[in-house]
Amino acid sequence: MKNMIEVKSLTKKFGSFMAVNGINVQIKEGEIFGFLGPNGAGKTTTISMLTTLLKPTSGTALIDGYDCIKDAAQVRSMIGVVPQTFSLFPELTAEENLWYIGKLYGMKDFSIKEKTSSLLKTVVLSEHAKRISGAFSGGMKQRLSVAASLMSSPRILFMDEPTTGLDPQSRVALRELTQQLNKSGITIFYTTHDMEEADKLCDRIAIMDKGAIIALGTSDEIKRKLEDHNSIEIELEEVSNFILSELKKLPFVASVENSGRIINLKVKNTSNVFFKLSDFFSARKQKVVEIKIKEPSLEDVFIHLTKKELRE
Amino acid sequence: MTGKKAEQKEKLVDFQKIGAIIRKNFIVMTRDKARILPLIMFPVFMILIFGFTSGNAPKHITAAIISYDNSPLSEKVQQAISNSETFTVRHMVSTGGEGKKLLDKGDVKIIIEIPAALQKKIESGQSAAITVIVDESDSSVANTARQSMREIISGMSEEISLEKIIDFQNSVGIASEKLQNYNGQFLNKYSLIISKSKSAETSLEEANKKIGQQALSLENSLSNPIATVAAKTSSNEAQSVFNQTFLSEKPGYSSARGQIASLKQSSSLIISAKENIIEAGIIAEEGDKNYKSVNDYQAINDNILKPSQDIKEFSSYDPHNLHEPLSYEEKPAYGTGKRTVDFLIPNIIALVIFQGAVMGMGRAVAGEKRNGSLTRVFLTPTSNATIILGTLLFYIVFEIFRSSFLILLAMNLFHIKIEGSLLAVSLIMVVYAGVSTAIGMLLSSIVKSEEQYMAVSMLVSMPTIFLGGAFLPVQAMPKFLQSVASFLPVTYAGSALRGIMIKGFSLATISYEIFILLMFLMVTVGAVFLVYKRDIE
Repeated sequence: MKNMIEVKSLTKKFGSFMAVNGINVQIKEGEIFGFLGPNGAGKTTTISMLTTLLKPTSGTALIDGYDCIKDAAQVRSMIGVVPQTFSLFPELTAEENLWYIGKLYGMKDFSIKEKTSSLLKTVVLSEHAKRISGAFSGGMKQRLSVAASLMSSPRILFMDEPTTGLDPQSRVALRELTQQLNKSGITIFYTTHDMEEADKLCDRIAIMDKGAIIALGTSDEIKRKLEDHNSIEIELEEVSNFILSELKKLPFVASVENSGRIINLKVKNTSNVFFKLSDFFSARKQKVVEIKIKEPSLEDVFIHLTKKELRE
Repeated sequence: MTGKKAEQKEKLVDFQKIGAIIRKNFIVMTRDKARILPLIMFPVFMILIFGFTSGNAPKHITAAIISYDNSPLSEKVQQAISNSETFTVRHMVSTGGEGKKLLDKGDVKIIIEIPAALQKKIESGQSAAITVIVDESDSSVANTARQSMREIISGMSEEISLEKIIDFQNSVGIASEKLQNYNGQFLNKYSLIISKSKSAETSLEEANKKIGQQALSLENSLSNPIATVAAKTSSNEAQSVFNQTFLSEKPGYSSARGQIASLKQSSSLIISAKENIIEAGIIAEEGDKNYKSVNDYQAINDNILKPSQDIKEFSSYDPHNLHEPLSYEEKPAYGTGKRTVDFLIPNIIALVIFQGAVMGMGRAVAGEKRNGSLTRVFLTPTSNATIILGTLLFYIVFEIFRSSFLILLAMNLFHIKIEGSLLAVSLIMVVYAGVSTAIGMLLSSIVKSEEQYMAVSMLVSMPTIFLGGAFLPVQAMPKFLQSVASFLPVTYAGSALRGIMIKGFSLATISYEIFILLMFLMVTVGAVFLVYKRDIE
């Protein structure tokens, strides 16, 4: 499959601040590509450059072979963008907003009409076509925004944290809409904070931090990075210092932490760990309520990779 | 009960909370830079402008003088105008047409016309009027110019009438002195004649007396023979004796008698001569008088003629002219019956277009930038030029619609008449709306939010409101504010609109304003193209 997006040493500096630091990434046609990172990591800056809104300081970004700077107009005609905020005209109705965007894409009135009605059906807003969009709920606005970005029948759709601020139902609806669009052949570049969402939705994920991509691959590939740090949760009826110190002495245990009756073990490898622990506790006549092997979540990986501390 | 409970919980006025609210608002305000700037700038600007404007009459109003008289008086009037702080005489022209051109161009705000033969007229006791043509465009300037001219003219008038009165006083004084002089001379001469004729009379009288005495002694010497004769003779005898005696004595007697008779005759001649002398004295006296008066008449005439003529002339003057020899007259510059509102409307239109465009741009660019809808537009294959021109054109059309409505309203409510062509008015409005919109767009392109836009736009809208000439006289302001005004498009648009609407100018007459406005349009639109960036930060 060919690369839909090719980013090479893409860099953006704002004064002395390095917002994006020479990133390289390829996104294949038909992919849902998740773009993750803490606030201020450089995600929006990257999207802005890929969508021709911002000129890179150096490096190149090709969209289906077209350069984002030199062939900006061509690139614009191929992409759709769902921005973080509503970014339509709240005074206009749903229909009028789509008409305006269609016109700016150089579409004829009759094809705008056709496209509008089919898109409004897709985003389930047909009934609200003639309502003022400013009065829409958050979910409706975001769906209208998706419809607007599909007016030009783009081959790539950039979605910048589209689910932020939406209620769970709207999130699910928007996610389903995204999958549906992807199935129809649109490559999707998806930014989110929601790890679970990225895990479920994206074929591949890039984690960005401090302007650089620090992890790239499928969800599983990224999670494997934390495998050495698999953790096991043990719930005992009673926890004593003796038990804790005995646990620490075990050769396969890396660290021990406890809170109340729950002990968190980091183990060096998980082979037979379940049985080893059962033997350990029965030998010491400890009643075990539960032993769970905890697979690392994407969030764990994310937190681990981005070093936990709060920035900004 | 529950009500009471609520009251205990929530005080009617809680000072601690009021304190907190005040503190919070203070913090919010000090952190909102975009709001602080206009909050501080606004009063500073207001104080500056009003401080410099109010109470200060406009100064150095540009004037042109047309003088049809080359007399010293005319020069004096011109000097008075030049010396006044109110006027700066920029031009001396020789015809009314030239003056009008200067007024049309706005080069001068007042034309002062000094009539022909000004001094002659004034000297002959007629009154003369100095004609003033005032550009009404700026009512405060016009009023100050008027008042100042009135003061100058009435000051000159007073001076002239004072001079005349002093002249008159001098003439009357001289005349009365001379008359008194002559009066004395006559008295002296008269008494001399009288005394001389008196002495002549006396000497004649004495001569007469002496002659009388001689005659008497002669008579006495002759009386003896007659008495002898009378004593010796009786009537007949006497007669004969007498006759003898008398006859014997006859030759001597008759000769004495003859002498007496001749003496008596000469005495009576002397008496009659004396009478004649007295009479002659009287006649001489009169003659002398007459002679003298005839002789001196020329001199008297010569000496008294001038003052008496002066007096006569003076008394023939119209006392009103004497009171006000120079008067103020005003000719309307354009048509008749233009009121302040006529002059205000063009400026208000210019102001409305500017404010509308600048405010509109805040919404159109800064607002859309903020709510992200502009981003959406930037994402489409639409060029900057298309976006800029589309936005510009809408606001130009919109502003023209708005100002046309304003003009219609003014025409119907205040019976404003547009002297020039409506097409010319529309052209100016199009160009000016373009300039205003471009300025708004320029500002909104360089700011990041609507709030910032409001603050920045105040930098141009405040001077436009207050230096645009709609509310305050720009000429009354200090030079630096006036030079600020010359950088504002409103100055030229207002001037062009006033020219067309009030003065009925053609586009050719206001070509300068049109040129400047077109320059503004080119520069501002050009700047918008340069500054308008798609980069979103």
